[in-house]
Amino acid sequence: MIWGRLFRLPWRTSQQIKRDVDEELRFHLDMRVEALAALGMAPDAARARALREFGDLEDARRYIGAVDRDIEAAQRRNDYMRDLLQDLGYAVRKLRAAPAFTLAAIATLALGIGANTAIFSIVHGVLLRAPAFPQADHLVRVRYSQQGHPDVSTPMDIVDNRTHATKFVGFSILEGMTANLVRDGADAERVPAIRVGANFFSLLRVAPLAGRFFTDGEDQAGAPKVAVISEALWRRDFGASPSVVGKTVRINSAPFTIIGVVARDNGYPFSSELWVPKVFSPDELNDQSRGARWLSMLARVRDDVDVSVADKDIEQVSALMETKFPEIFRERRAHLSTVQEYTVGDVRKPLLIMLGAVAFVLLIACANVANLLLVRATARESEMAVRTALGAGRGRLVRQLMTESVLLSLCGAAVGLAIAKIGMTELLSRAPQSVLLMTRATIDATTLGVTALIAVVTGLAFGMLPALQVARNDLTSALRAGAGGVRSKPSANRTKRLIVVGEIALAVTLLTGAGLLLHSFTKLLSVDPGFKPEGALSLKLSLPPRTYGSTRTRNFVAELESRTRALPGVRLVGLSNMIPLDGSSYGFTFVIRGRPPMRSSDEPAAEVRVVNPDFFNAMGTPVLLGRAITIADRPGAAEGIVINKAFATRFFPNENPLDQAITLAWGEDSVPVVRPIIGVVADMRGNALAEAPDPTVYLSMAQHPMPGLSIVVRTERDPASLVGGLRSIVRDLDHEVPVYSVQTMSERVASSLGRERFFATLIAVFAAVALVLSAVGLYGVIAYAVTQRTRELGVRVALGASGSRISRMVIGEGVVLTGAGLVVGIAGAASVSKLLSTFLFGVSSMDAVTLVGVIGTLSLVAVLASWLPARRAARVDPLAAMRGD
Amino acid sequence: MVREPMDLLQGTLDVLVLRTLAWEPMHGYAVSRSIHQRTDGVLEIEDAPLYKALHRLERAGFVAAEWGVSENKRRARYYSLTNAGRRQLKAEETAWRQYAEAVFKVLEST
Repeated sequence: MIWGRLFRLPWRTSQQIKRDVDEELRFHLDMRVEALAALGMAPDAARARALREFGDLEDARRYIGAVDRDIEAAQRRNDYMRDLLQDLGYAVRKLRAAPAFTLAAIATLALGIGANTAIFSIVHGVLLRAPAFPQADHLVRVRYSQQGHPDVSTPMDIVDNRTHATKFVGFSILEGMTANLVRDGADAERVPAIRVGANFFSLLRVAPLAGRFFTDGEDQAGAPKVAVISEALWRRDFGASPSVVGKTVRINSAPFTIIGVVARDNGYPFSSELWVPKVFSPDELNDQSRGARWLSMLARVRDDVDVSVADKDIEQVSALMETKFPEIFRERRAHLSTVQEYTVGDVRKPLLIMLGAVAFVLLIACANVANLLLVRATARESEMAVRTALGAGRGRLVRQLMTESVLLSLCGAAVGLAIAKIGMTELLSRAPQSVLLMTRATIDATTLGVTALIAVVTGLAFGMLPALQVARNDLTSALRAGAGGVRSKPSANRTKRLIVVGEIALAVTLLTGAGLLLHSFTKLLSVDPGFKPEGALSLKLSLPPRTYGSTRTRNFVAELESRTRALPGVRLVGLSNMIPLDGSSYGFTFVIRGRPPMRSSDEPAAEVRVVNPDFFNAMGTPVLLGRAITIADRPGAAEGIVINKAFATRFFPNENPLDQAITLAWGEDSVPVVRPIIGVVADMRGNALAEAPDPTVYLSMAQHPMPGLSIVVRTERDPASLVGGLRSIVRDLDHEVPVYSVQTMSERVASSLGRERFFATLIAVFAAVALVLSAVGLYGVIAYAVTQRTRELGVRVALGASGSRISRMVIGEGVVLTGAGLVVGIAGAASVSKLLSTFLFGVSSMDAVTLVGVIGTLSLVAVLASWLPARRAARVDPLAAMRGD
Repeated sequence: MVREPMDLLQGTLDVLVLRTLAWEPMHGYAVSRSIHQRTDGVLEIEDAPLYKALHRLERAGFVAAEWGVSENKRRARYYSLTNAGRRQLKAEETAWRQYAEAVFKVLEST
């Protein structure tokens, strides 16, 4: 193989190897027989002797054949590698020789691949990767619904489930709480906390990072007060010291002993930083308490049971309870969703839609690069022809071109990763809460692998067309046409045009989606929240009920109100138990005076708010009828209530509400108090701007002091300038009560639209990229067509066509392509926008404004993209054009 | 890959083949005759192991094979020593000499 190293030997099949082995052995035996015959031996004897001398001929034949096949295989591997290196070297030289093309292609691909990697990383981190608990798919939330409306749990639910359900390892309640955490020598801090059953961490199946978790009986009355903290809290407040175990802290003004630390990702709910056992009082656990519902429930399904089976099981338990308590549990059912589904429920579909949108961007990027390559392939026809003439096979040329494509897209992927990294940081800084809760979205081995896969597939996809075109090339005509440039075949031009039409169609679909979401978003922005957000600051605090009785609370509120009013720049101080747009609910059923009694499950329900006299003024919410709460509504006075407009229209459509009264099924109403309606105020959006306001009842705070407080301060100054003063007032009043959720009302309005803004921005960015890419693609095709037709255009000019006529012709071509893309794209958009319909507010999925906008934008872009080449065409000098290249 | 346990004979045969090819490229029959003559037939080497050794050495990269034309105008497979083969031969020779010397020292010490 001395020469074999210099140029490649043809590959041998195993048949050929067998023949070669046979020939070599036959040669040996023949030579030996001849030599023996020359010594005078008879031919037969000579043959026998030669065979004897040889030994085991068949064994040798087999062995040699096998060894030779090994050699052949190694040789092939070598050749492949050498070809690949050769192709790569050649590709690098070729790409460096055309830097403008290379940069354009890499930039386009980097955008497409980068955006895909970023979105995929988030989708992977949020939707695909299970939470870090063992058998996380068997860890479920028990969700109740009654008569089609979502419901929550009552303490007895857990008793019922433990008694009757058979497919579960166990149940634990979850009760969200505000924890005012005080450790010695530090300011009080408000941490997200949760009360759970003692079995909670054993349901999660996690081990403590330090210390221990709750043990049986620690959720029983009289047990010592213990708490578990999150790793984040441990590092932030306790310097990650192991001696934190056994330390005493004050939580809502009661001493608790820290017994353990939960590792990051091992805690649930994901946002929680503090866990304490939930201790039920005996009067919460009896058949009379089933109406009071405020809890959530976690459960673990047995490992050997499918979640869908357990779902049937729990549903049957709820059906059983309905038969036992038909009055209060009418049509109340329980169902399961895994903790992952539960957490990502509201972002799952939009995230998947974004993944689809970003795939469109990648497709458009591929189309652009394919077109660039097609143009290049035409320019390289003579090079390819020469290489063919020098003996390169078509397969070899196709492989060469594919190597170039994949190399391009790998370069694009490398740059794209940088884009993805930056994009992810940007995205996550704007992401809504439910995405952030699963913050394990990172660029890791899986997403890198997916990126690499996308890059290779992308490279193959956009490299395929030009490579196939080369494979079809006719050698002689290409050579004959010479180096001056080959007229590309009509079929190649048709391909380029089809690609551009496809690109525009994809862009139209994306633009329509983006337009719909943006239009819907502007509609949301223009929703009247029912209050004046500008010039108002809000914050929350929570008094520990253990140390704050009603008198102390009343004093605290009075003091807070008067001191805040004394702050410079403060005009009005509103106080309420809840702030609008907070997403929290505090609902109770009620009975309207003079109407026939109903069964309890059919009673109407309303949100209950407790407010001070200035609350409506501070919010900027007008009183429509009667009066607001005033200082006259003090303890001992008649307990009048104010209702909102939604309440009035729902329950008193034909009556004067001021003549009506209701009885609330509220804690303090256990001795029913008939509450006359004294006023009607405008509706405030309580949950979200997109949701119709709930019927709401406002009570006097002086009559009903509540531990949870929200303060709204209206000021002429910059609202943010009041924060320091307010904080120090609260710290003076009680240093164990931290202030939290400090936001101007405008910020609250903005952040209530966080999810909508996030997805609308995201898809708008994708649509913008798609628009730019397809404009560039259109420009490329038209510009190339112009250079190809220089001679023809010259003739036309010489025959008297005016410059403007020529540009109209060229622009006309761009408009035709765009028109075709628009028609296809709008058809596609019609089906895609149905997916978006659940995310649209006040906008139909075939929104005329959006469609007109999309068509207008695209037509404008198309005219612009063809105008540049058209200008060049109009300036063609007929003499130069006809003289030749 | 096809493998056989290394034994003394196989190792010996490899050295003999490499040494033979060190003079000039030759086909398998010539290698066989050459070894036969130089050992005066004492070792009684069969041809089957010899051919196995040739191909094994080719796989190891110590010899290269090429089809050529023999002295009687027939197609024959010619083997030649590669650079790696030359180095291998040198190493094996040294090892063999040391081995032989050690054996002789024991035999002559009586």
